[in-house]
Amino acid sequence: MMEFLNFYVVPGIVTGSIYALGAIGITLIFGILRFGHFAHGDLATSGAYLALGATALLGLTPWAALPVAMLLTALLAYGIHRLFYRHLESRPKILTVIASLGIGMMLRSVVQVVWGVDPLAYGSGIARAQAFGPLMLRPREIATLALTLALVATLLAFLRYSKWGKAMRAMSDNPDLARLCGVDNDGVTRLTWFIVGALAAASGFCLGINTELTTMMGWSAMLSMFAAAVLGGVGRVEGAVVGGLVIGLAEELSVLVVPSPYKSATAFVILLAILLLRPQGIFKGKVL
Amino acid sequence: MKKKILASLSALALGGAIASAPAMAQNVKVAYLVAITGPIAGMAPMMVQSMKFAAEQVNAQGGIGNGGKLDPQVYDSGCNPQLATDAATKAVNVNGVIGIVGPSCSGPVIAVANSVSVPAGVLLVTSSGTSPKISTLDDKDLVFRTVPSDDYQGRALARALKARGIDKVAVTYLNNDYGLGLAEAFADEFQKQGGTITASRAHEDKKASYRSDLAELAKGGADTLVVFAYGNSSGLTILRQAIENGFFKNFVGADGMRDEGMVKTLGPDNLKPLLVSAPAGATGAGFEKFGKDFKATGGDPNGTFAATSYDAAFLMALAIEKAGGDKAKLPQALREVATAPGEPILPGEWAKAKKLIAEGKDIDYKGAAGDHEFDAHGDVPGSYILYKVSSSGFAEVERMK
Repeated sequence: MMEFLNFYVVPGIVTGSIYALGAIGITLIFGILRFGHFAHGDLATSGAYLALGATALLGLTPWAALPVAMLLTALLAYGIHRLFYRHLESRPKILTVIASLGIGMMLRSVVQVVWGVDPLAYGSGIARAQAFGPLMLRPREIATLALTLALVATLLAFLRYSKWGKAMRAMSDNPDLARLCGVDNDGVTRLTWFIVGALAAASGFCLGINTELTTMMGWSAMLSMFAAAVLGGVGRVEGAVVGGLVIGLAEELSVLVVPSPYKSATAFVILLAILLLRPQGIFKGKVL
Repeated sequence: MKKKILASLSALALGGAIASAPAMAQNVKVAYLVAITGPIAGMAPMMVQSMKFAAEQVNAQGGIGNGGKLDPQVYDSGCNPQLATDAATKAVNVNGVIGIVGPSCSGPVIAVANSVSVPAGVLLVTSSGTSPKISTLDDKDLVFRTVPSDDYQGRALARALKARGIDKVAVTYLNNDYGLGLAEAFADEFQKQGGTITASRAHEDKKASYRSDLAELAKGGADTLVVFAYGNSSGLTILRQAIENGFFKNFVGADGMRDEGMVKTLGPDNLKPLLVSAPAGATGAGFEKFGKDFKATGGDPNGTFAATSYDAAFLMALAIEKAGGDKAKLPQALREVATAPGEPILPGEWAKAKKLIAEGKDIDYKGAAGDHEFDAHGDVPGSYILYKVSSSGFAEVERMK
């Protein structure tokens, strides 16, 4: 039983919360800007490497480098919007979707040019688990879960109570109506990219600190993140969190039933089932 | 009018000259099919350079046949079956090469052999395809390699572990030709030696967590885990999570796990229980001669697959010389020039080899990467070394049998 918790459920929840952080960004872009952002995984990769750069250049500890990386990635995300996506806004959305695939490749290539293709880590050595009663947890896992909780709670409160949060929700419901009511759509778009960039950096950082930094890390994880966003209901932040946890757990638990090379396929089976049976997702998001 | 007649006459003469030239000096086209782009692009420059170096030596010391030259054409195989097949088709069907040196990577070798080179009766010598699956191709004796099959490494590793008193292991392998080939060879030999494999599971690359995989593997009660994966990818994550959670006490890997970056990331102290096998670097007179000559032209003889690539290209030239440029006789000729008995030929001794072949004497090429005594599958045996982790990287434990 404890083995089941420690080796299947705990890793599933940790992986799931990393997926959740990524899926929130994807679902926000889906909900507010209305396109699938395929550069999201590579944005997460960039964030993870920027944190590594901050540890190397500024001599910070990895966790202290995280806010720096979140800020830089937020600026990066906004910069990408200004340079590329903004020019496609009035065109069919599919152009932006395909453009984001290209942006993803560009980001990945820049990371490969700067940091090389060999895997890197925030620190050397290994961290053995500490026992909390029968539960075995590592400090970095507790920190990952705490960070996810804090970011999600802050974001939810922001969306619910602040003026800008309400504007974001209004634009997500109906951009034209929001503009008529005096919502600054450009401002909301800018804010969305800042939030998305910061969250992408957090997910990439958590992925990196729990495993290693590789240039393909974000791209490989992004497919699961998309599944999580759709599963939870597109445009729903709490849905992305639940979706992320479900996908993370399902991937780990699938090993009990099917051979482990099918681990990645589990996310897609769930995605397919959701699209067929309940396209609005668990939390009644937008139907794609 | 006169001018026209003159022009057509001279054209006729010129055409005649071109047509009759090969009768005196027949140039021979061979394809060097190397993954210049793709995942092993980093190794490609040295492979191409060593192949071209072999061709230069051949042409500088008398060329092929009676005044002909070896005409090597470099193609990109991209470490990708599709690209490699396209390039090989062009080389064989359009440009008329009679032999292929390459392609790089195991998947492309299998694809090119099945769909291009074997149907066309073209000899193929690869210098970097290591999958055991290449041995069992229905190749009409047209596929050879100068690099040992992973089959040998898997078996050598199994015997080495058994000799060290390890009887019970769990195996996890990357779900591709490399991982599967090694795992099958290892399992077969380990069980023949009386060992027990408690669990053998494939895994997918690039996942964030392998703890559930490891928990499943640990259920059989083995305290040694054999990992056939790459130390810069899933192998690293698996080792980290296995050590952190205490799933296994000892770890064993093959050449893919001999990764200095991995030692740096996990820390040499944590990797004390790790043993890895890797092909022994070439030694002997053949390698020394190749090393000296190749260095003089700015090459790195220790580059990955540099020595095997040189041998593949040089052997191809020897076989062409022996077969008198006859495509159908190439496989038989390759076996004759590569295997004992015969007058030993070292890398670069083209003039000597050419003279002996002309006299009808048997030769035996002793190459840069080994003696290349091909077996029935066209494979060469490999020699491997078992390494442990030291503070600075990897230290030799023993040569494996």
